[in-house]
Amino acid sequence: MNDLCADIGYKSVNHFGEQLCGDHVDIVEQGENSTVVVLADGLGSGVKASILSTLTSKIISTMMSEGLSLEDCVETIAATLPICSVRGVAYSTFTIVHLINNTDAEIIEYDNPQVILLRGGSNYDYPRTEMNIGGKKIYKSVIRLNEDDIFVLMSDGCPHAGMGNVYDFGWKREEIITFMETFAEVGYTAKTLSTILVDECDRLYGNEPGDDATACVIRIRRREPMNILFGPPASRDDCNRMMSLFFSKEGKHIVCGGTTSTIAAKYLGKPIRASLNFDDPEVPPTAEIEGVDLVTEGVITINKVLTYARDYLSENKSYEHWSVKRDGASLICRLLFEEATDINFFVGRAINPAHQNPDLPINFSIKMNLVEELSKCLRQMGKKVKVVYF
Amino acid sequence: MKITVCIGSSCHIKGSRQVVEGLQRLIADNKLTDKVELAGTFCMGKCQQGVCVTVDDEFFSVNAEDVDGFFKNSVLPRVR
Repeated sequence: MNDLCADIGYKSVNHFGEQLCGDHVDIVEQGENSTVVVLADGLGSGVKASILSTLTSKIISTMMSEGLSLEDCVETIAATLPICSVRGVAYSTFTIVHLINNTDAEIIEYDNPQVILLRGGSNYDYPRTEMNIGGKKIYKSVIRLNEDDIFVLMSDGCPHAGMGNVYDFGWKREEIITFMETFAEVGYTAKTLSTILVDECDRLYGNEPGDDATACVIRIRRREPMNILFGPPASRDDCNRMMSLFFSKEGKHIVCGGTTSTIAAKYLGKPIRASLNFDDPEVPPTAEIEGVDLVTEGVITINKVLTYARDYLSENKSYEHWSVKRDGASLICRLLFEEATDINFFVGRAINPAHQNPDLPINFSIKMNLVEELSKCLRQMGKKVKVVYF
Repeated sequence: MKITVCIGSSCHIKGSRQVVEGLQRLIADNKLTDKVELAGTFCMGKCQQGVCVTVDDEFFSVNAEDVDGFFKNSVLPRVR
């Protein structure tokens, strides 16, 4: 047991004109600290490829996480996949990364581009063993995990990017490594790193990809707890209890809400200094209280964070905004999406009578809904989320 | 003199940004930057009357559409 954990994110672009992606990534958690990640690339593109890759990744991730052997997995796939009527073969390539107890990674590769491992910000060549299972040539490696290791899994759509167009033979592995090395030490999340890589592939294809291209990034990092206080408690008598529980938690502390920050400031015996910088006209300014890492307004800011969270999980188009801006919502996004691995919400259920005006988009049920939706999104990002109500 | 503008949720929706930007402009135009301090604060507990503004310790409910009027009637006479 150690305090490492994995941040996993992926992104795909589809073959030009296709609605479905022929690549599929499946992530299955196996107990507390082990995870199976499978990236499968089905033969061809469109619906046929999509079915092949979905079946392959689901079968492997389910069987592996139940502890079955690699041989069994490969045999099952060979026996299950439907045979393509055009080509007469059933075929889906795959890459498996099995993270064991957050201490070791077992990499199993079949015909996909070789997994790139960046260690300490530069390429690390790991030893691979060739195996023959059911007539298939499969490579296996076992690697001891280090903090800040970055694994990059790709479908062949990535190294084929720009083929015959920008590059004669596509985007070479060495060049992809050099490209990714420049981003390795910035601290981008796995999702952002995979987005950067796939966006570059899309650009090399001239925005008309000749193949489905998928990148899945696994970033090994230290656990980072984060605590958020949102709303005053339903009963005034609970203020001190809520504050002492909140401030006794390890990790950074974010306070959201006007009245809430007044209560926090009173508890800490420190003044609130509100700023008047409207970095984003839609988001109210932030404030400072000594002993609190970030103080923001409540409902409007969190609503914006939720919008960013939803985008992050789908297109990830607004990361260019929240990853650099200084408004309250962007700052919360960076702390929650990038820094945090374990998030504790301390939610107060007090009703602000001024907010119960039907003309205002900030009433009580909206507020409670925000917390639920946001924690759902954060869980989808692979964060461990706890919510306590007061 | 210190003018404090509430930037909490309710007041934000009612236009505290316009009030802040309006006051910043008026203070600069009237060359009062060294006499008037502009600050923000979170909720003053009078959300219904937003946008909430205090001039020194006196409370005002300011309409975001009429920052000029507020400045002329309630701020300028106090400075001079």
